[in-house]
Amino acid sequence: MDAISSEKLLILIAPLIVLQLLLMIIALVVCARSKDVNGPKLLWVLIILFGNLIGSVLFFVFGRRSS
Amino acid sequence: MSQWFVLYRKEWLELIRSGKLIWVPVVFILLGASQPIVSYMLPEIIAGAGNMPEGTVIELPTLTASGVMVQTLQQFGTLGLLIIALISMGTVSNERLSGTSAMILVKPVAYSSFVTAKWAAMLTITAISFGLGYGAGWYYTAALFGSVSLLAAAGSSLLFGLWLGFVGTVTILFSTLLRSAAAAAFSALGAAALLSIATTLLPKALAWSPGKLTELAAAQLMSGHASGLWPVVSITIISIIAALALAVWHLRQHPSIEAV
Repeated sequence: MDAISSEKLLILIAPLIVLQLLLMIIALVVCARSKDVNGPKLLWVLIILFGNLIGSVLFFVFGRRSS
Repeated sequence: MSQWFVLYRKEWLELIRSGKLIWVPVVFILLGASQPIVSYMLPEIIAGAGNMPEGTVIELPTLTASGVMVQTLQQFGTLGLLIIALISMGTVSNERLSGTSAMILVKPVAYSSFVTAKWAAMLTITAISFGLGYGAGWYYTAALFGSVSLLAAAGSSLLFGLWLGFVGTVTILFSTLLRSAAAAAFSALGAAALLSIATTLLPKALAWSPGKLTELAAAQLMSGHASGLWPVVSITIISIIAALALAVWHLRQHPSIEAV
């Protein structure tokens, strides 16, 4: 188990962190650009920023009104 | 057939426009990759928790690579299933409410192509997302715990993918039957949970149930072969076809939402 140092682990995890940030940024951009957001926009920004994975998923599923 | 491809392309365009084609695979990759990492870090996480009384010894079972893969599948079985139900809950009902389906169905378009194009789009995004997510889980398991044979992983992914596709199909069926998208997702997830629980409680009587697919996928991972495979697979495929037929029949009976 100790064969992998914490540095190597960080290298392994790095792409995931990038992916997570990417998801967050996409969610924020979509949120900023969409005209018809389901609820206050500021609230969704906070949910995306602090809700990690779940926050972005919640925004994509419930955040936009389909018209 | 060319008409079907036009409808399918419309669904595909919708997947791109709504961003589903980006965020669903990303979420699945994160889901699949995080499980091996969390399993790997678990001893350190517990050690760092700090609120243990002095001298506490927690015996953690040593995890095998295939055991970690089974845990990853369980992640897909809960959160992944939820996401698939949520993205496909409004496939038919939203279009009926907004009038899009009426615009399409007044043209000489077969009801069956209308439903199966949506179904195929759902299958496509499920396959892409689950394939990428499971691949990421496989990669991280190989990096942290040791490799799982590609054959066992591929076989289990087919079985588990069939289960995801089954639940997605049930969601589309409920989306046709019910007016509300939330009710469709709720009914589909409820049906999936009920099926899983019933299969666990009555393993002999329900040996053919699609709810057994997750169990078979785990067995495929652990031992490389799953017994009693074909009845389950064939029953699942038959029920998928039956669900689609029922959805088409219902849509033909009640083309407009007012008639529901």
